[in-house]
Amino acid sequence: MSAFSPAGLLALSGALLSIGLFGILTRRNFILLLISIEIAINAAVLNFVYFAAFAGATGGLTGQAIAVVVIGLAATEVAVGLAIVLALNRLRGSINVAEAATLKF
Amino acid sequence: MSGFDVAFGWAWLIPTLTAVAFVIVGVGGRRMARLEWGGWVAVAFSFAAMVVGILVAIGEMLAPGSYTDSSVTWISIPGSPGTFPNGVQLDIGILVDPISALMLLVVTVVGFLVLLYSIEYMHHDSGLARYYAELSLFLTAMTGLVLSDNLLEFFLFWELVGVCSYFLIGFYYEKPSAASAAKEAFLVTRVGDVLFLLGIFIYFAVYATSGSAPGWAAGGFKFTNGSAPFLAGAMGGNTPLLTVAGLMMLGGAAGKSAQFPLHVWLPDAMEGPTTVSALIHAATMVAAGVYLLAVVSLFLGFTPTDQLAIVAVGGFTTFFAATMAVVNPDIKRVIAYSTISQLGYMVFAVGAGFTMVGLYHLFTHAFFKALLFLAAGSVIHAVGTQDLFKMGGLRKTMPLTAAAFAIGALSLSGFPGSSGFFSKDDILGSVYATLGTHPQYWPFFLLALLTVFLTAYYIFRAWFLAFGGDGPRDATLPHAHEPGWTMRLPLVVLSALAIGAGALVFDPAFASLLPGIGVPPTFRGADLALSAVSVGLVACGFGLAYSFWGGGRVFELSESTWAARVRALLLHRYYFKAGYDWIGLRATYTVARAADFVERYVIDGTVRGFERLFAGLSDGLRRVQTGVVSDYAAYVVGGLVGFLLLLVFLAPWLLQTVGGG
Repeated sequence: MSAFSPAGLLALSGALLSIGLFGILTRRNFILLLISIEIAINAAVLNFVYFAAFAGATGGLTGQAIAVVVIGLAATEVAVGLAIVLALNRLRGSINVAEAATLKF
Repeated sequence: MSGFDVAFGWAWLIPTLTAVAFVIVGVGGRRMARLEWGGWVAVAFSFAAMVVGILVAIGEMLAPGSYTDSSVTWISIPGSPGTFPNGVQLDIGILVDPISALMLLVVTVVGFLVLLYSIEYMHHDSGLARYYAELSLFLTAMTGLVLSDNLLEFFLFWELVGVCSYFLIGFYYEKPSAASAAKEAFLVTRVGDVLFLLGIFIYFAVYATSGSAPGWAAGGFKFTNGSAPFLAGAMGGNTPLLTVAGLMMLGGAAGKSAQFPLHVWLPDAMEGPTTVSALIHAATMVAAGVYLLAVVSLFLGFTPTDQLAIVAVGGFTTFFAATMAVVNPDIKRVIAYSTISQLGYMVFAVGAGFTMVGLYHLFTHAFFKALLFLAAGSVIHAVGTQDLFKMGGLRKTMPLTAAAFAIGALSLSGFPGSSGFFSKDDILGSVYATLGTHPQYWPFFLLALLTVFLTAYYIFRAWFLAFGGDGPRDATLPHAHEPGWTMRLPLVVLSALAIGAGALVFDPAFASLLPGIGVPPTFRGADLALSAVSVGLVACGFGLAYSFWGGGRVFELSESTWAARVRALLLHRYYFKAGYDWIGLRATYTVARAADFVERYVIDGTVRGFERLFAGLSDGLRRVQTGVVSDYAAYVVGGLVGFLLLLVFLAPWLLQTVGGG
């Protein structure tokens, strides 16, 4: 039933994870950081969905269910993250994470 | 039986009476402003104790033997088969036997006389409640000691007299020299006490486990009582362990009786009031060491090695202390050295196996030495100094004191007919008789004989300096006068005893307090020649003292002669005190410094080193906390990557090792 090979799908989610991690490590803009996190999370969600489909009826709906829960969690996380962004912007007039570094040694 | 044996049931009253006086005076004495009554309370109770003591002694004279009274079980250990067959029972009890009756007589009589004397002598001092309370406590401890029925109880009272001695030497505690003398006495006697305790442990281990010992109740750590109390000349088992135990007892006795090399504390103990010197540091407490040796020799016995050691210590101390008395300018210290010397005679006699002869000298010595101290106290009370070279001519203003001191001096030196003559010549004669079988006693016998000459010299030197001549050498001294009756009465009574106490032993009833001493005590055939030699030595000593110091003369030594150097050596007490101070200050301090170095730099250094290492490490590590979110994300990613790499490389090895899939 699958139009994609397993290797291609795993490569896709691996690529998405790598792009997300690259964004997390390099971006200084808080919003871009959040978007990078979303990309990385979606790589994981894609894996769940793919393996659930791969397992077919034996696995039940566990993979899909987890995928939906994770999407919900990601939405929540973004809501909290954007709230922090707004608060940070109001406080410092900037959403550059490298500048908000007062909590250190 | 005589009617007096009922007194044995009252023996417990003696320590109790003085203990009551201790409580009354100690608790109530401070409430009165002038405290005169506190002294009289102590005198009254000690008088009552003396009456009971005399009754007990009379009972013993009429019916010699051992009597147990009111024994209370303290600790009872059940026996176990094999290692500890009989079990052991430790008692707190009272044992009245001839020698403890003799000691009771000495302690209570001298104690009462000294307390009476104190009323006037201490009149001007403050802290009198403390003084009378402590003296009463001392009497309790000392009488308890002589009535003890086992060595452990003996030791408890032994420690109690030690602490009383400490208190009373330091009576003038605001004076630094008195405070340090008290400390010195406490510490030096402590050395002996530890040895004594070790000796008790050995005896306990040997006799409590074997369950039988000569002179000990079977299965009990207790002196025998009843039919066969004394083992005259009995020797215990001759094992190395018992030899060591005997040497430990000698160590304990040397501490308490100020024998070489633990003699240093007694001359310094003269910092206390003269009355205390008379009672504690001359007549009674310092004799406790001799009494201990006597008790051990009677109930347990010493091995021949122990005997030689005891003879050596006693004989050498006799001479050694007498030499230091020869040059001392302080009237009390001269008598203090003489006390050490006379205690040496007693130890010497006990060591040679003549326990009763040693106790006989203890008995006579208590009276004439207390007399000498109280006469010296009378002089110090009158002129306010202890320096013999400032006194002079006092026989004119204080004839009674001069006579009392002269009687004490005659008795001490062994003038024929005085009590000291009988007991000292009995020691010399008895030991002389054993020299044939014990030639190893010869050097110590000769030292003891030579001391007779030194004794006569130093004590008459003191008499001539204080009482001879026309008047005081120091014109600033106050005009001397005889003291009141409370001081004169003890002098008179003790003078009578100093003359007559020696002859008491000719009475067979009294001699039963010293079982086996023999009547008459001296002039035993061949001793006559020895007595003549001894009397000749006394005469020589007296003559030399007269030619140097008689008639107000002051013998001057030219400096830089060898004699002056010897005198300096003697005045520095052979540098023993300086040596002990060196050990205490320098040697101990050096060891302490070394220990301090190890503590500070090795032990603490290691701990601090670790502390610094981890402080440095953590200081470096905290730099990773940059506060930048991206950095933290990088750590997370790095950790994840590292973990994955580890998994990839380790997984095959792990699977192999664990043996799974």
